[in-house]
Amino acid sequence: MSEPETPDAAPALPPEAPPSPAARWAALVGSEAWSDAFRTPKVRVPRERWVEAHRALKEHLPFFSWLSAIDWANEVAVGDPVEGGPIEERCEVISRLSDVTAGEGVILSTDLPPDDLRLDSLTGVYGGADWHEREAADMFGIRFEGHPHLVNIYLPDGFQGHPLRKSYPLLSREIKPWPGAVEVAPLPAVEAAPGEPREGGA
Amino acid sequence: MTTPADRDLLARHRSEAAVSVELQTPEMTLNIGPQHPSTHGVLRLVATVAGERVVKVEPVMGYMHRGYEKLTEVRTYAQITGLVNRIDWVSGFANEVPFIVAAERLMGVEAPERAQYLRLILTEMFRISNHLIFLCSFPSELGAPTPLMYALRERERVLDLIEGVTGGRFHPNFNRIGGVRPAAGAGAKQRTVSQDLPKGFLQGTRRAMAAVRGVCDDLENLVLGNEIVQQRTIGVGVLPAARAIEYGVSGPNLRASGVAFDLRKVEDYLPYHRFDFDVVSMPHGDAYDRCRVRLEEIRQAVRIIEQALDSLPSGPLQAKVPRVVKVPRGECYVRAENPKGEMGYHLVSGGGRRPYRVKIRSASFCNLSVLPWLLQGVLIPDIIAILGSLDFVLGDVDR
Repeated sequence: MSEPETPDAAPALPPEAPPSPAARWAALVGSEAWSDAFRTPKVRVPRERWVEAHRALKEHLPFFSWLSAIDWANEVAVGDPVEGGPIEERCEVISRLSDVTAGEGVILSTDLPPDDLRLDSLTGVYGGADWHEREAADMFGIRFEGHPHLVNIYLPDGFQGHPLRKSYPLLSREIKPWPGAVEVAPLPAVEAAPGEPREGGA
Repeated sequence: MTTPADRDLLARHRSEAAVSVELQTPEMTLNIGPQHPSTHGVLRLVATVAGERVVKVEPVMGYMHRGYEKLTEVRTYAQITGLVNRIDWVSGFANEVPFIVAAERLMGVEAPERAQYLRLILTEMFRISNHLIFLCSFPSELGAPTPLMYALRERERVLDLIEGVTGGRFHPNFNRIGGVRPAAGAGAKQRTVSQDLPKGFLQGTRRAMAAVRGVCDDLENLVLGNEIVQQRTIGVGVLPAARAIEYGVSGPNLRASGVAFDLRKVEDYLPYHRFDFDVVSMPHGDAYDRCRVRLEEIRQAVRIIEQALDSLPSGPLQAKVPRVVKVPRGECYVRAENPKGEMGYHLVSGGGRRPYRVKIRSASFCNLSVLPWLLQGVLIPDIIAILGSLDFVLGDVDR
């Protein structure tokens, strides 16, 4: 999606345009919000209709590829924040379904408010969602309701925190700064051209 | 004529026999791993067994979780290729390609044709290397160490070629956004003479491919024709297509279940549509078919490489990209047919020099997720046969 901060801005479909794959999947799940940017069909569904939407698509897209989440946050402990101003803070859960014949697929997405990370489990629709949901629970602290066995998959028992949240620091960097960081600063002897900082190394 | 002493003995035997019939085998927990040669990394299986039968298996993972998805958020795009080729270390180069293609797609850059061909040739070489490793490690897990020598000998020739082009045997770190690194730093001898492919690469590759064809025939007799391997694998660990699809099992494991689906035929991350090759699929879905699919895929990979060598275009290896790579805001998912199955990256860029979020979809994670289902009710020795036939690497599961 080119504009992730405006989830409900569905592009208007011109009548003469060929039907976009995302629009077709959106119609099947009864959603208006879809995007085809960068050839990645993506359909947004409200969180109440998350399981229902997957059930509607299972007949066409039986292959459960993956499920994960994106923590949209303005304050980040690691990496760079999204450029271009504040975004709406939320936890976006995304899952990808595809077929095994024509190579079509779609990403379904739903937004959870940061203070209420609960979502219905997909394990009743796609058995393969089991481990993916356990991973997302580990990494983001999402509570998948109805999951049969929601225990840590990667993290040790009793681990505190959810590592892929943007508020979670990268502890090795806290102890020792990344040595690669010196590469991207302009070298003292060389004046960087304005607007084009030098990138050394590779 | 039985003497009283004999009768005594007989009676005692009877009573013992009766005891052993009535004896209930209690369920027992059997721990396999984390350090076990057939787990390809560090995987622990907690198996509940009743006698020789497996009741339930619970895989315990995370021993190799290196947090790559978090690390990508603090690295620049150029640094990430060095990271991601360690996910599945048996096919390092193939891990780089979908990531780089995703970044290129967001930037609107396309690699020159020659670079795309080189990516394709190297990906197929890693497919050969991966499948040869499978065809030698799988029999050795079943107790036949000989094929290992045959397969590794030819794999070494392929790795030498890879090293000649990229400078690395396992972790080439050869892709750049908009192309591949001109091989100026490749192989000690070529460093000063060549900026492109090393001298003698085309001829050397043709010879190596002929040798790979030869070893395929050898392995077909030695492994697939082996009666003991057949008895250990035919009808063992049958994975029905519907179950495989629902669990996201991909690659050779899916094709062995009768689904002729190959991302090389439907996606355009590399110019596979220009080459003539078959999608190999087998009907039974058992461990033996998974083995056969991989052997046939080596032959198909050889075909692709030979065609690519014949039509290798000339030209630059690198498209024009800014010196400091910044990827515009947006997100896209690019997947590729890796030796182990569907490998994909969902790349979310916030507009900066580092990704905002990268979701790594690795083939082994999904291929392994079907394991608890697959191991229900099998015999204990079959655990290893089934585990080995799925061809996973724990680095690819845990990431």
